[in-house]
Amino acid sequence: MKNFFSRRLSHEDLDDRELVALAKEDAEAFGELYARYVKKMYSYIFHRTGNTQDAEDLTARVFMRAYAHIGNYVDRGLPFQAWLYRIAHNLVANWHRDQARRKIIALDDYVAHSLQSEAPERMAEDLEERDSLMAAVRRLPEERQQLLLLKFIEQMSNADIGAIMGRTEGAIKSLYHRTLLALRDDMGSTPEPGQQRRIDGTEV
Amino acid sequence: MDSSSDIQTQSLLDDVTAGIQTGDDLGDRAGYAESPAAEFGDLVGTIKALHAALTPVEPRPEFVASLRADLIDGRPGVFERAQQMPLRISLAAALVAGFLLFFLRRLFDSDAPQEIQEEAVATPL
Repeated sequence: MKNFFSRRLSHEDLDDRELVALAKEDAEAFGELYARYVKKMYSYIFHRTGNTQDAEDLTARVFMRAYAHIGNYVDRGLPFQAWLYRIAHNLVANWHRDQARRKIIALDDYVAHSLQSEAPERMAEDLEERDSLMAAVRRLPEERQQLLLLKFIEQMSNADIGAIMGRTEGAIKSLYHRTLLALRDDMGSTPEPGQQRRIDGTEV
Repeated sequence: MDSSSDIQTQSLLDDVTAGIQTGDDLGDRAGYAESPAAEFGDLVGTIKALHAALTPVEPRPEFVASLRADLIDGRPGVFERAQQMPLRISLAAALVAGFLLFFLRRLFDSDAPQEIQEEAVATPL
C-alpha cells in the first residue's frame, strides 16, 4: 500500500518529459498525462466540433491514439501537449471532411455550455452575438480556427502556438492580425443561410 | 512580407489581447487610440468579442472517469500481454499452442470417420 501511494505521488511530481519516458512502459504514468491534458483536449475539440457527442468521441480517439503510439514518441524539444494538439487537429480535420455534407453545425450544446450561468434577460442578446461570431469563426480555415482556440481558450503564447502549428512566432502574429481582419470583415457581411464559403478568400 | 506598420499593429494587437485576457484593458488607453492602423479600434472590438465567446468547456466527469478506466485500468488483451513477455517465453508459448492445435486436430480427424460409421449403423434403412 505504501508503495502504491508513493508511486502515485511521484508521478504527480514529474514533469511531462519524465512522464512520457515512463509512460512507454507504465500505464499509470500515461494516466497522469491524461489527467493533465484531458480537459484541454476536450475543450479544444468541443469548440472545433460544436457538440458534446463528437467532442467526447474525438477526445477518446486522441488519447487512444496517443497511448497506442507513445512508445514511438520522439522528444524533439517540443512540449508534449504540442503532440496531443497535432493528433487532435488531424482527427478534427478528418471529422470535418466526413461532415462536409452537413451545412449547419449545431451550436445548441455550445450555447448550453457557455450561457448556463448568465441571467435570462441577457441570454437572447448574447446568444445571437455569440452564434454569429462562432459561425464566423467556423467559416475560417482550420489553421486560423486552431490559432484562435489556442490563443483565447488555452491562452498560449505565440511561441507555444508556433511550436504546435509548426510556424515562427512572427508568422503567428501576422496570421493573428489577418485572422482578426477577416473576422471583422465577415461580421460586417453576414452570409446567406447555408452559404458555404471561407472568409479569407480560399475555397471551402 | 509585412510592412513596418503591419508589424507595429501586430505587436499592439498582441499586447491588447494579452491585456484583455488578464483584465487590463489596454484597448481603452489613450496611447492605443492613436494606432497606425485605422482599423485598430474595430479589431479591439473583435478581440473582446472573441475573449467573451471562446471560453474553456469542461468535459463531463463521468466521461473523464470512463475514458481513463478504458485506457489505463482496462485489462490488457492476450496479444498485448504476449507482447510484454520475454521473447523466450513468447516463443515457448507459441510452440506449445502450435503442438496443442496439431494434436487436437489429429484427435478430431481420427474421431470423424468413427462418428460417421456409428451414425450410419444407427440410421434405419
